[in-house]
Amino acid sequence: MIDITLGQYFPGNSFLHRMDPRVKMVLIFLYIFSVFIPQNWVGLGLAVAFLVFVIILSRLPVKLIFKSIKPIIPLVLITSALNIFYISDGTTLFKWGFIQITTKGITTASFIAIRIICLIAGSSLLTYTTSPTTLTDALERLLSPLKVVKLNVHELAMMMTIALRFIPTLIEETDKIMSAQKARGADLESGGLMQRIRALIPIIVPLFVSSFRRAFDLATAMECRCYRGGERRTRMKQMKMRVPDYISIVVVLAFAAGLLGLNFIFKSVL
Amino acid sequence: MPIIETQGLSYTYSPGTPYKKDAIKGISIKIEKGDFVGIIGHTGSGKSTLVQHLNGLLRPTSGKVLLNGRDIWENPKKIREVRFKVGLVFQYPEHQLFEETAYKDIAFGPSNMGLDGDEIDKRVRTAARFVGLKDELLEKSPFELSGGEKRRVAIAGVMAMQPEVLILDEPTAGLDPKGRDMILGQIAEYQKENGATVILVSHSMEDIARTTKKVLVMNKGSVAMFDETQIVFSRAEELQSIGLSVPAVTRIFMQLRGMGYNVGDNAYTVKQAVERLLPLLKREVGNND
Ligand SMILES: Nc1ncnc2c1ncn2[C@@H]1O[C@H](COP(=O)(O)OP(=O)(O)OP(=O)(O)O)[C@@H](O)[C@H]1O
Ligand SMILES: [Mg+2]
Repeated sequence: MIDITLGQYFPGNSFLHRMDPRVKMVLIFLYIFSVFIPQNWVGLGLAVAFLVFVIILSRLPVKLIFKSIKPIIPLVLITSALNIFYISDGTTLFKWGFIQITTKGITTASFIAIRIICLIAGSSLLTYTTSPTTLTDALERLLSPLKVVKLNVHELAMMMTIALRFIPTLIEETDKIMSAQKARGADLESGGLMQRIRALIPIIVPLFVSSFRRAFDLATAMECRCYRGGERRTRMKQMKMRVPDYISIVVVLAFAAGLLGLNFIFKSVL
Repeated sequence: MPIIETQGLSYTYSPGTPYKKDAIKGISIKIEKGDFVGIIGHTGSGKSTLVQHLNGLLRPTSGKVLLNGRDIWENPKKIREVRFKVGLVFQYPEHQLFEETAYKDIAFGPSNMGLDGDEIDKRVRTAARFVGLKDELLEKSPFELSGGEKRRVAIAGVMAMQPEVLILDEPTAGLDPKGRDMILGQIAEYQKENGATVILVSHSMEDIARTTKKVLVMNKGSVAMFDETQIVFSRAEELQSIGLSVPAVTRIFMQLRGMGYNVGDNAYTVKQAVERLLPLLKREVGNND
């Protein structure tokens, strides 16, 4: 079984799941920018606390959040290390040859590490609580003002939706074809590089054949229903902003403003 | 000793996610050598999941599959050998064709077994003959064939491995009645000629009634019944209560009895019905004289 959780949507019915996806998207972007505002520990603490609060609201298993952070740990470690070694002002704690560790270096490194983690965890909240198709739908509407510069937002979004829609289908199909060829004794696990590449032919050929068949079927089906692009199409799922969405906007704006304010109250540690 | 035995077989798809699904639960069955077993059950009752365990495509979440008395997962490295002994034809097997010619596609399985050229040729031709593919079709690209022909090429591809156990997952789905009869006849012939064990998954009660000796009825991932075909179809009410039908002939018999005719036991094939009804009709005709 291929275990790719692309479009890692985790179904649920929490506050975050029910939010208007457009609002959710914009607010999460706003949060990601806000994470770079704090210059002091209090502000950074507030940013982390806010994230924790939203994670609790989303009712996602904490394990999932850690899973999203795991792949970027090396990146975090490398940037932190670089900062620790390159920043040479502040009180020196340790010196050996040209390596010098200062309090300032450690502070900056921790700030950057925490910011990256908040950024990734925050954006993963968006993909965990919104299905990929809803996401492209929201994106289409947010980008629709670009129509004035002759960008066909609808078609772009449609292509994205179709691509996303067919990823699980393709994975399932690959799985099935692999099983069918294994049932005929195909050996996919052993042999040298060339042998392994050759072993893929019995899987790739049927996969292409069925993908083309699906594409043609889909095109026919869409034409049968008189699909003609974005012109004057109405929608089955109307996106509507409700009271909780307005409240969320106010809360996040207040949060960002608070972070700015804290920068004036507390001395910058960077 | 049964050729295939399962002990408390259970399988869960996507464990630990919200999509978790217990597809089969605690299945223990024994299939004897030379049996012709049918598997019926509602859509999603776990038939395909079950048969994919029998040749080691799925590894049980718990429980065991024994082939000739030995756990097939005893040595996971040798699982390919199990697949040569237990041949599985998938649902819509024509989607797995990939070679340039039908001949080469049928030869894929046997050549994976490491047989020599002559033996492969012999097996390909025997299998093609079994499923009724003409020689000139063998040199065509499988993609140029009709749906029914493709299906036959795919079935021949598994038969050519000459497995001890041949499993077919809905081999007749989407075929016309003639094509269906033909494929079923050829499977029955294969079974007779090779003394093979055959397991047939099907939604068609008529097909099952006509070909199989025993029937396994699946319901929501568990075994609802596993018995001689005749006995299973005689429990029509139970079958209907789990959303399955009985062969049309059996329904007719049940109605006749309901109308007060003394037609005896239920028949489940047309042949049986004829045998049962003819004497009764003769008697009626005699009375009228
Ligand atoms: N790859 C998979 N991932 C997750 N769930 C699956 C997968 N394959 C099957 N299932 C689920 O397991 C259950 C049993 O499926 P299975 O394919 O064995 O049913 P079936 O009896 O063969 O049905 P059908 O008659 O429609 O072929 C179904 O509820 C199905 O949704
Ligand atoms: Mg099935």
